[in-house]
Amino acid sequence: MAPPEEAGGGEFPVGMKVLVVDDDPTCLAVLKQMLVQCRYDATTCSQSTRALSMLRENRRGFDVIISDVHMPDMDGFRLLELVGLEMDLPVIMMSADSRTDIVMKGIKHGACDYLIKPVRMEELKNIWQHVVRKKFSGNKEHEHSGSLDDTDRNRPANNDNEYASSINDGADDSWKSQKKKRDKEEDDSELESGDPSNSSKKPRVVWSVELHQQFVNAVNHLGIDTVPKKILELMNVPGLTRENVASHLQKFRLYLKRIAQHHAGITNPYCTPASSAQVASLGGLDFQALAASGQIPPQALAALQDELLGRTTTSMVLPGRDQSSLRLAAVKGNKPQGEREIAFGQPIFKCQNNSYGAFPQSSPTVGRLPSFSAWPNNKLGMADSTSTLGNVNNSQNSNIVLHELQQQPDTMLSGTLHALDVKPSGIAMPSQSLNTFPASEGLSPNQSGFLTTIPPSMKPEPALPNSQQSNNLLGGIDLINQASTSQPFSNSHGGNLPGLMNHNSNVMPSQGISNFQTGNIPYLVNNSSIGVGSKPPGVLKTESTDSLNQSFGYICGSSPMDSGLLSSQPRNAQFGFLQSPNDVTGGWSLQNVDNYRNTIGPSHPVSSSSSFQSSNVALGKLPDQGRGKNLGFVGKGTCIPNRFAVDEVESPTNSLSHSIGSSGDIPDIFGFSGQM
Amino acid sequence: MDYSNLRRQIIFMKKSFFDQGYLDEQFNQLEELQDESSPNFVEEVVALFLKDSPRLLINIEQAIEKYPQDFYRLDSLVHQLKGSASSIGAVRMKNECSVLKAHGNDKNLEGCRRSLQKMKREHATLKQKLESYFQLLRQVGPRNSAVNSRK
Repeated sequence: MAPPEEAGGGEFPVGMKVLVVDDDPTCLAVLKQMLVQCRYDATTCSQSTRALSMLRENRRGFDVIISDVHMPDMDGFRLLELVGLEMDLPVIMMSADSRTDIVMKGIKHGACDYLIKPVRMEELKNIWQHVVRKKFSGNKEHEHSGSLDDTDRNRPANNDNEYASSINDGADDSWKSQKKKRDKEEDDSELESGDPSNSSKKPRVVWSVELHQQFVNAVNHLGIDTVPKKILELMNVPGLTRENVASHLQKFRLYLKRIAQHHAGITNPYCTPASSAQVASLGGLDFQALAASGQIPPQALAALQDELLGRTTTSMVLPGRDQSSLRLAAVKGNKPQGEREIAFGQPIFKCQNNSYGAFPQSSPTVGRLPSFSAWPNNKLGMADSTSTLGNVNNSQNSNIVLHELQQQPDTMLSGTLHALDVKPSGIAMPSQSLNTFPASEGLSPNQSGFLTTIPPSMKPEPALPNSQQSNNLLGGIDLINQASTSQPFSNSHGGNLPGLMNHNSNVMPSQGISNFQTGNIPYLVNNSSIGVGSKPPGVLKTESTDSLNQSFGYICGSSPMDSGLLSSQPRNAQFGFLQSPNDVTGGWSLQNVDNYRNTIGPSHPVSSSSSFQSSNVALGKLPDQGRGKNLGFVGKGTCIPNRFAVDEVESPTNSLSHSIGSSGDIPDIFGFSGQM
Repeated sequence: MDYSNLRRQIIFMKKSFFDQGYLDEQFNQLEELQDESSPNFVEEVVALFLKDSPRLLINIEQAIEKYPQDFYRLDSLVHQLKGSASSIGAVRMKNECSVLKAHGNDKNLEGCRRSLQKMKREHATLKQKLESYFQLLRQVGPRNSAVNSRK
């Protein structure tokens, strides 16, 4: 099939690989025939479990998934989440049920579209848009993170996004409007960030880890609802403009929102009934901010917070533990235990007590976000020496992670984290329901970008608690979002919300999604790469080199991390999601710049992982890092709490490892192997 | 064989399906999907439906008749049947599914039973009609396209 980059030129949609999952043989037959008539390459499957294994075996084998909502072996929403997290492929939901709340649920779980049965040919003819859109978003983000000349490319991408949005006459208005909004924000932020997406080659502001940390500190101090001007003043960084801060703030907020939603969606068994808004479940992340934005109800914040704090147990209100929400929680095996979930999600937050750092301390819930360092539960590998990071990644880790995720004891997680190592703080939150992000599908790159923005500076600064936190959060969250989209945070390029975990972010693997599938392997945490040794291609300033140090979430390529975290290499899957496998070298694709354009090191095309990385980094350095391996912490010992990385490593594997599909040994990140 | 006569019969029969509300536009869509590479597509899909739906009907009956009733499962089954029926354009059955679903949501056992009986009748009627229709089509043979003259 023609590479999507061409925006669907020429023969583009022809041959697009579609996977249809529906337990009803009649529907399956009809759909297949329709798809064949559309000249797509259709594969049918009547069981979700089988579909998932097919996808895992061959991540690049499909460009888009169409799935029924009601299926006997696995709920369609759950499949949606998993696919989104692990593989970051566009998923279209389908059902005879046209109730608005169900459709809304689908969108919130990350569905690109929702079709009502009986499905008509006209609707199927348009599904290629979703693939293109994702790819372009990913490209765009990637570009941002990587180089300065992406402005040119962004333009077309932006145009594409806008166009796609406008022509998308999907039934779901909310989705459309959200997507448009997202696109618009992306565009805006790009412009605002001083790097006009237009051809002007004005140097962009690179949101390095340090810079981001300063930003987060400022926001923490002032509250998420503050104005850019105040933040700017507080930050007192010469050369930084209000516009830069404004766009960064915008992204940050979106990121938080996403995380919140993600958490909410992560479904904590205890979570209060999900309530329509998964968002609510976020539980403590950014509660304030989110609440402020009306997104997250206080209770969600609390839950989130608890989660972050590692408060295990039920207190984690991760509402919305829908079955569908795969969220990490699910991965964890749905354990109500907060710990587990926290482990994943936590990393991000835990990093610093302030969880995002952005949240005003005042917010009770949010503020509480336990510093990421808390990674309470899982001691994921953090404890280990750096090596763990590296090796953890390997399949074993991933397996472990997966298990962990499923419901395994924390120990597992730690193991995985190692692998993830790379991932700095948290974001790697495995599968944290990135799905929850509403219609985030579109978001993707941006979102993750946000996290990644955490400047690689992850400097060793020891646990910069606050700053880290935010990073972590972002990072972690990002991970979650990333889930599968390992796209490096490159999303952040300018327009994206780096921190935001795009849940759906397309982790488009770096560079040019040349084929339909961008092939991004989202989270494959490079097994080897975990921070140790894998030299990220230029990602994140490799200063950290080994450990993900990459300063916050940057999944930047700092070499070590990349592999681990980002590396899409399935092996590491640890995070499962962060890994946006850079394909390239495993490093995070964060490449340096990852979302925030931090040009860390040579922008390694790695693209995908960057986003992921950032999360890790963000988490701030884990205090306990000690281990050298800075999971994700930007090499320098920066903050990202190792713990997170570790944990994440474990968990992510679930999702990521699978998705990567590349290395055969990718363990079942979500522990789905057979479990589902 | 008098093809023209047969074809007229076929056209007439099909039209009656639409007029009487047994089938809807979706059925036309199916016919449009039929081509040289899948010359009997419509018949195959309908056969698939007719083969699969009795199983659903039985399960629905069980869900209603067992005690305690499992309305959740009933809802899920009826939903499946609805999706299936709508895929081939069996509109009467689809509508009856909606009725049955509503009764199930209200936990109206009697209503469910009545609706299920009606559903079974609709199913039997549709099956008979469609089977005769395809029989005629087969008689016409490769000139099936003639039937799609509605295009």
